[in-house]
Amino acid sequence: MTELELIERASKGDERAFRTLYDANVDRIYRLAYRMAGEEDLAKDFTQEAFLRAYQRLDQFRGDAAFSTWLHSIAVSVALNGLRKVDRHRKRERSLEDAAHVSPGNPPVEPGVRERIDGAVNDLPEIYRMVFLMHDLEGYSHGEIAATLGVAEGTSKARLSRARAKLREALGDAMQEYV
Amino acid sequence: MSEKPVDEMVDVVRDTYHVPGETPAEAIWEGVQQGMRAAPDEGVTDLTVERMKRSIRVSRPVAWSVAAAALLVLGVGVGRMTSPGATLAPVANASSDATTGLRFAAAEHFGRTESLLTMVRSDVRQGRVDSMTGTWARGLLVQTRLLLDARAGDDPAMRELLEDIELVLAQVVGLAERGVMDGDRTHNELEFELALRGVEERELLPRLQAAGRLLGLSGT
Repeated sequence: MTELELIERASKGDERAFRTLYDANVDRIYRLAYRMAGEEDLAKDFTQEAFLRAYQRLDQFRGDAAFSTWLHSIAVSVALNGLRKVDRHRKRERSLEDAAHVSPGNPPVEPGVRERIDGAVNDLPEIYRMVFLMHDLEGYSHGEIAATLGVAEGTSKARLSRARAKLREALGDAMQEYV
Repeated sequence: MSEKPVDEMVDVVRDTYHVPGETPAEAIWEGVQQGMRAAPDEGVTDLTVERMKRSIRVSRPVAWSVAAAALLVLGVGVGRMTSPGATLAPVANASSDATTGLRFAAAEHFGRTESLLTMVRSDVRQGRVDSMTGTWARGLLVQTRLLLDARAGDDPAMRELLEDIELVLAQVVGLAERGVMDGDRTHNELEFELALRGVEERELLPRLQAAGRLLGLSGT
């Protein structure tokens, strides 16, 4: 069954069809949400909300972009909106203990280095941070990023370049011994 | 660090920053499934429709007038700041004339930018954008770059503030233009979120207010 057929069936309430679409995309969506949020519970909430919103809007999917791209646009929007609400209650900076607790995949890194990396990435303007997370940390192509964020590929490349420059400036010699 | 290849820095960040564990796919699916079986979402407003309604209410001549007025004021400020023969007011020397012009132009600019961003923030929270916003923001973006190119950019704190303003205004311009040209609701929502986060994460409004007070021209 093609993706469009699955979408058509899902839009008519076929749960199994939507589950197939879910299985094909949930891992990438969750990973991106986690990179953005840094907390498992938030990443789960954002992923769930993204799929739910996509399901509710399936009739609006025009098919002029891949379903995955459309879904990613929704997911990024949901995560940004959710993080804005969360940030009203707490800043992204957290203690080393918290960071270790909420990042199950983190390998051991010296405390000072992790804090500097977290701070440097968190301090990136969101439009740079998004491209950096998607391209450098999660391996999205500039074409995918451009389609997801609704910008030109050149804009994606320029933002990545600015993000890397800012990180290099912010991290300075902090990682000399790690690279 | 600068002599190290970028890829090596990226590798360290990739293995350190918000590293996801295994995807809890079944747990997430349970939540999705419950939502699918619940009532359909009725709380999402149609941003495109809202935008079109508001766009109709603002005439193009008014928008251009605002932009023209903004540029005229900047021209006076920057002119005083940069022209060696400026004689608009008695001054002790060229340096103090330039400083006065700079303060005037910068304070005026910060005040207008603060007004725009306050309006944008309000609009974004209501899920819409006014068609005049793009023209207004574009004028301010030009002014920001002029100030950056002028001596305002010599002061590190001022430069940082102006660069942050430039970044957010560029987003607002893009947002407003897309608001008129692009009916893609998902992308519009995404741009709204990015713009709003830009304003909030850079703490632009309080910084603009503080800068205005520092220059002694706040509220003019």
